[in-house]
Amino acid sequence: MRAYFLRRLLLIVPTLIGITLLVFAITRFLPGGPVEQALLQGQMAQGDSSSSSAEGVGLSPAQVRQLESYYGFDQPWYLAYAEWLGQVATGDLGQSYRYQIPVTSMIFDRLPVSLYYGLITFVFTYAVCVPLGIVKAIKHRTRLDGITSIIVFAGYAVPGYVLGALLLVFFAFQLEWFPTGGFVSPFFADLGFWGKVWDLVRHSALPLICYLVGSFAFLTLLMKNSLLDNLAADYMRTAAAKGLSFRRAVFRHALRNSLIPIATNFGNAISLFVAGSFLIEKIFSIEGFGLLGYTSLIERDYPVVMGVLLLSSFLLLVGNLLSDLLVATVDPRIRFD
Amino acid sequence: MNPITRRRLQHFRSLKRGYWSFLIFAAIILVAALAELWINQRAIVVSYDGRLYFPTYASQYSGEEFGQDYPYEANYRALKEQFAAPGNPNWVLMPLIPYGPDESVYREGSFPPYPPSARTQHYLGTDPLGRDVLARLVYGFRIALGFSLGLMACTYLLAILIGCAMGYFGGWFDLTGQRLMEIWTNIPFLYVVIILASTIPPAVGAPARIGALLAVMVIFNWIAMANYMRTAAYRERARDYIAAARVIGAGPLRIIFRHLLPNTLSIVVTFIPFTVVAGITALTALDFLGFGIPPPTPSWGELLQQGTNRLDAPWIVASTFVAMVVVLTLVTFIGEGIREAFDPKKFSYFR
Repeated sequence: MRAYFLRRLLLIVPTLIGITLLVFAITRFLPGGPVEQALLQGQMAQGDSSSSSAEGVGLSPAQVRQLESYYGFDQPWYLAYAEWLGQVATGDLGQSYRYQIPVTSMIFDRLPVSLYYGLITFVFTYAVCVPLGIVKAIKHRTRLDGITSIIVFAGYAVPGYVLGALLLVFFAFQLEWFPTGGFVSPFFADLGFWGKVWDLVRHSALPLICYLVGSFAFLTLLMKNSLLDNLAADYMRTAAAKGLSFRRAVFRHALRNSLIPIATNFGNAISLFVAGSFLIEKIFSIEGFGLLGYTSLIERDYPVVMGVLLLSSFLLLVGNLLSDLLVATVDPRIRFD
Repeated sequence: MNPITRRRLQHFRSLKRGYWSFLIFAAIILVAALAELWINQRAIVVSYDGRLYFPTYASQYSGEEFGQDYPYEANYRALKEQFAAPGNPNWVLMPLIPYGPDESVYREGSFPPYPPSARTQHYLGTDPLGRDVLARLVYGFRIALGFSLGLMACTYLLAILIGCAMGYFGGWFDLTGQRLMEIWTNIPFLYVVIILASTIPPAVGAPARIGALLAVMVIFNWIAMANYMRTAAYRERARDYIAAARVIGAGPLRIIFRHLLPNTLSIVVTFIPFTVVAGITALTALDFLGFGIPPPTPSWGELLQQGTNRLDAPWIVASTFVAMVVVLTLVTFIGEGIREAFDPKKFSYFR
């Protein structure tokens, strides 16, 4: 068992290298990279719009080469990748092309936002889904089950940012109950403690609804199906035969076993640090981690793109491993080797 | 039809929510397929000088053919008003909504977006370019659904081939495939689609762009399905009937296509509705961000984008939202019904 998890832990490294290598290679061969953008800016600064090619207008070949070496584009992509990897090994993710500040500090600035939304979504989801799943399993195929299923499936089917767009238009713009965007107000620092809390709540109410609606379906159905499986298990018949009441049998026997799959999801909670859909963040203009990845991609800010990718896939892989570890701990029947 | 399939169909029909969703969705598809007949700037029938014209599906008629003084396509709405004058024997029968999806309508003295109004027959209003929202919703739905079905077909073909091959042959082929798939699944899908979609030069025409988009999405979508097929093939391979087929002398291709596939296809069927939902959702997200099907093609994502840019025109976002909720929820209900109909497990109750 220990050998298995050790092996899995070591396998994270080659997988991470594979992922970053692939994306690094793609960014290298894409047109519109930093060198071309710098050339284009130089071209526009000179007001020379007569030539349509971005190639060397107003810049001598020596200057172009200087630009290329500044952005590290003068060497073959695998050497550049090796250099990036060496940097990462020392904990340095490089500098943003665009803002000239370290990528690590850019990422750390965004983490509180992601953690705030991620944690609240996480807690609310479990607080609602586990009881709801239990009720739905016990009341399987009743009217209550049917109605909640419709709501849960509709929430699952509609993307959160689409709901966000609707909420934004009606509750933020038309009715003006909520601000139209941002994580906090610009004058946040001047507010008192309760003023800060109120400001944060007002700003996060609508985005939280979007996050929550989409996350309910999976966990509710997992809980329901898992409990349904256990309600039909042989040991429940035994429990009934020895005269246990329905309530005792469900809560003492079936429920404990059916919580196992729920517990395994806790492992991925580590990804809460980088939680946040860039679509929802874009709708509500929240400067979160997801939006950081998206804007850096649009701006071709490749060091930031790579940093975001590295951190989020690392946490994802570790989270998967933790989940498996949790399964093995909670459920003695499961063995990995 | 074999008895198992018949029983599954019966079971599906007995599941009210899924079956009714299926009927409603089929009706919606039928109505959308005939959209040209009820949402169009072209007339359904024109009677001019004793002759009947049916411009809907025909090549376009110029204004000169109806006695107008312009050589480009006839403006049927103006024609209708003109023919409506008393004593004029000619007439025009316009569709219920006399606007096309790509047609900008400007009214004098005001700028679009125009709010919904039954009088102007913009029942859901117009977008900021003066195009009818309902027309764009319906035509956009057709494109999104077609794209999603095409995406599903290509994805499944690739996934089934690779998945079955991995499961059936096993060994090093399976091992390398699994490693590659692990890396592939951990690359954020929308991320790479955006990188690649943003590099297609704008000069490339719409069909080529859609094709490229489809190809990129297929490349990143086949993994999950391939995993299921791999597991299924792996399980089936150990069964006696496969061994029997091999003893008779059937080759691997024959075994995979004639024996293995028919026995694993039921897994595929239960995934279809959810794949369609995912396809429509992904395309809408890409269109919303501006990396999807290029304008002026009607699309839900583009409507959402326009709606969020013009918060003073709530009818754009509201209409798109309702359309998405209805369509995606219906398909999800169908999927849930199919899944239950295909599930052999029966729950026993403890009461």
